[in-house]
Amino acid sequence: MTYEAPLEKHPVNIREVVLGEGEKARKIGGENTFPFHSFEGSLPNLQGLALEVLDIHPQNWATWALEPFKDVASDPVDWAKKCVEEYGAEILCLRLLSTDPMGMDAAPEETAKTVRKVVDSLNVPLIVLGTGTEDKDSKVLIEVARECSGKNLLLGPVLKGNYQEIAKAALEHGHAIVAQAAMDANLTKELNIALCKFFPPEKIVVDPTSSALGYGMEYTFSIIESIKQFGLVDKDNMMQMPVFSDVAAECWRTKEARESEEQGILWEATTSMTFLLAGANLLVLRHPTALRLIKKMISS
Amino acid sequence: MALKGAEIMKMLPKTNCKECGCATCFAFAMKLATGGVKLDDCPYIDPEVKAELEGAMAPPMKLVTIGAGENALVIGEEEVMFRHEKTFFHEPGIAVLISDKESESDIDEKLGRINDLRFDRIGNVLKVNLLALSKDSGSSAPFENLVKKAYEDTNFPFILISENTDILFSAAEMCADRRPLVYPITGENVSAAIPRLKELGLPAGVKGHGLDELISITTQLKDAGVEESILDPGSQNMLEGIRDQTLIRRAALKKGFRPLGYPTMAFPCFMSQDKYEQALTASALMAKYAGIVVISLTEKEFVFPLLVHRFNIYSDPRRPMTVEEKVYELSRPDENSPVLISTNYALDFFIVSGAIEEADMPAFLCIKDTGGIGVLAAWTSGKFTGEAIAEFLKKYDVENKVKHRKLIIPGVAKKLKDELEEELPSWKILLGPAEASDIPKFLAEKWKV
Amino acid sequence: MILIGEDLNVMSDKISQAIKERNPEPIRECVEGQAKNGMDYLDLNVGPQKKDPAKTMAWLVKTVQEYTDLPLCLDTTNPIAMEEGLKISNKKALVNSASGAKESMETVMPLCKKYSADLVLSVINDAGLPSDADERAASILESLEVANQMGIENENIWIDPVLLPVGVDQRQVLSYMEFIQMIPDLAPGAKCVCGVSNLSYSAPKGLRGLLNRTFLVIISRYGQDAGIVSGFDDELIKLNRGEMPEIVELIHRAMDEEDMDISGLPSKEQEYVKTTQVLMGKTLYSNSWLEI
Repeated sequence: MTYEAPLEKHPVNIREVVLGEGEKARKIGGENTFPFHSFEGSLPNLQGLALEVLDIHPQNWATWALEPFKDVASDPVDWAKKCVEEYGAEILCLRLLSTDPMGMDAAPEETAKTVRKVVDSLNVPLIVLGTGTEDKDSKVLIEVARECSGKNLLLGPVLKGNYQEIAKAALEHGHAIVAQAAMDANLTKELNIALCKFFPPEKIVVDPTSSALGYGMEYTFSIIESIKQFGLVDKDNMMQMPVFSDVAAECWRTKEARESEEQGILWEATTSMTFLLAGANLLVLRHPTALRLIKKMISS
Repeated sequence: MALKGAEIMKMLPKTNCKECGCATCFAFAMKLATGGVKLDDCPYIDPEVKAELEGAMAPPMKLVTIGAGENALVIGEEEVMFRHEKTFFHEPGIAVLISDKESESDIDEKLGRINDLRFDRIGNVLKVNLLALSKDSGSSAPFENLVKKAYEDTNFPFILISENTDILFSAAEMCADRRPLVYPITGENVSAAIPRLKELGLPAGVKGHGLDELISITTQLKDAGVEESILDPGSQNMLEGIRDQTLIRRAALKKGFRPLGYPTMAFPCFMSQDKYEQALTASALMAKYAGIVVISLTEKEFVFPLLVHRFNIYSDPRRPMTVEEKVYELSRPDENSPVLISTNYALDFFIVSGAIEEADMPAFLCIKDTGGIGVLAAWTSGKFTGEAIAEFLKKYDVENKVKHRKLIIPGVAKKLKDELEEELPSWKILLGPAEASDIPKFLAEKWKV
Repeated sequence: MILIGEDLNVMSDKISQAIKERNPEPIRECVEGQAKNGMDYLDLNVGPQKKDPAKTMAWLVKTVQEYTDLPLCLDTTNPIAMEEGLKISNKKALVNSASGAKESMETVMPLCKKYSADLVLSVINDAGLPSDADERAASILESLEVANQMGIENENIWIDPVLLPVGVDQRQVLSYMEFIQMIPDLAPGAKCVCGVSNLSYSAPKGLRGLLNRTFLVIISRYGQDAGIVSGFDDELIKLNRGEMPEIVELIHRAMDEEDMDISGLPSKEQEYVKTTQVLMGKTLYSNSWLEI
């Protein structure tokens, strides 16, 4: 038997989603093969790596996670600037923790103004995430959509219980959305079908919900791998959206990440790399060293 | 097994004579497919067909053993490209590199550190598996000393690395009873290596620049009767490693291409001098099919994440992961803290304990062994009933941990509440929230002693 | 297919309350309703029954038998409850169930032998649930050997290949269908049964019936002998009786992957075709499979 390289080609591709607008806009997705398989297909866009910014001062962060941002952690605009200018982030993720109903429960209007300030000051693509509380997120994200109309933010998490209102506002104001379903390919598909009845599929990014290394990472890994398989191999067009993973939040809450700086960075970087290998197209990271490492390794 | 029962069936006599002990030829074929019987049990199978079947039934990727006894590393015989298609069967080996150029005291210290790289995680021991001993100095003595020391001071199996074939095999002779992997076996030395490999009965660490070279070497080895090989395609970095290992596995599993039907190995230790990059490369290549990764990292901060990563990726997705049964004390609880109870399905445990710890709420989390199945299924099968829970509370002396008598049960277990109230008349049973993530809110609002 | 009515089940608050209070009325209603609708067996699912297993099962079987002559399928993991039920069953009972796990076989099989009851034997074993058709085959062959050696013949065995919800593991549903077609060669003389409603466990409530009914027709064609089903799904009973041949034919054609333009069909027919296509694995399942 002579050897012929067993290359696999797929006649379909994952949709390309544009984040942000203007000269700093960034595309993710668009690939027609599995991650890093440039030897048998085309991957037009490097995976997107976003750095996380909170809209309140971090509570209870590991020392070494806070250290890179200590001087700017009280102001989201300064924080965002440092991420871009010093740490080379091309995408940011603004987490609206001030709106947590169990915490400060900030009003949607104020919060939206903060988002607007960040957008205006930097104009890099911006992901805006609520706290995952359905009703509150709905109000907040709708207000954010309106305040930042035309800026093509990526808003989330959009859930089964609140997708109608949020997606409608996103559509009206020209934003993309993160559609989140809990660790289940069937539920991901179901939400996409519901959304695509009125919302453009090329503005949807899916989040199958992430678990950190040591805390269920392999479940996320396998779900992301199967989403890619359904999209590329089975050609299921409701599974051809790029995949998003919020690594930062999950990894840094583990006790392992708090044991030492090196271990914390590696906890986040290993989880990130694992999801990229599965097919994630966009990640949210916390530590600038993890960002730098991943960027270097995927760019070579 | 490579062949499915139905495919085997086509090649059997189909007389249903029952002389093999099975009711029908179909039954025999099924048992063959899963390894329950031997082909020899069928007295009527045509000898040519038998040979063909034996060849076809051999696993598409060879099983290779390095080491002997309880520390042996067994890799290979993988069946799928994606773990969710079934499972990955054999955890890859992690080998730590030691060079013979290092000083004796450095080597001693390193061996000590490597021996300490063992960690307990939810009842499992995670550790590195092998030592990779490398000849880098000019003469043979330092290398032989290194091998001797490693042999005497540790129980690890070895990968022996030397470009000099004679020195490689003399070192192998020193530790042959521990079945070392000899590396590299290349196009240049394979003819000389073959008799030595056969004499010592060792697996071959094959190195080729690219897949075509590997194929040429493994073909020679196989033809000469050397059955076990591990393949290094010479990948220089993570991306090449992903490509090479993916193609090798695909060729073996999807094309039945025997010359590449072996487990692979990779050398992150040579791919980057940066410790973080090396660790990331090692984890990436383990997720992407490496049977062995060789690293030069010995610090806990860099090795522990690798061990956990391997443990996660190589867990069987068909079996729920479980945690140890016990009463977990979260955020320093005292006699007034709430008591919650749930099953030992790991994912639920992480979510519940994570939610409680993140909210920094002191609590006793009772985890009952249900074989990893969730609350409702466990109740139905009798593992999480009122009686079972009452036994648990007694066994772990929960009554003496708290002053109050309130027990919080998972919100989905409505049927359990009545049962428990009868089993534990002195306890008040509180139905918790349906979602684990609502536990902190529930405790904040509803918990009063 | 032989239909086994599933509605006498402790997961129903009404029934579990009635059992607790020893109130025969709700039991009577449930039994007579299912019998009237043409069930061939009635399944009595009493759960783990940790409290008073013998007395409870005795009361339940006695009560049920006051209202029907139908043979009973005794559904409990508690061997004491099981034995009590077997003792007083008027007709030959069906024991639901034993698995291939050593403890289960050792506890349950002797009871079947002692009381000359039929046995539902599942493919689960000490290693858990088999992940594909071949593994199911290997598992059941081993358990059958044990049963046969104990004197329980294939003719008294109803194999349960264990049906998982399509929304939990669609591939397992495909393995299920592959496996049941092997049974005549694997275990000549044995029947095949499953809990059909398991298929739709996580689906939207209003669509569960459609999934169950479509699946019934599919597995019927593949030779399945019996199903544990809702005793109150009129359309399912009609389909089973051959009173809706056009729908059955549509499902068969969809199974055969015939090119069908369904746009001209009435909506119910379209739904059956789409459901068949999803169950046959043509596309990834989602709760909105009818909307695509």
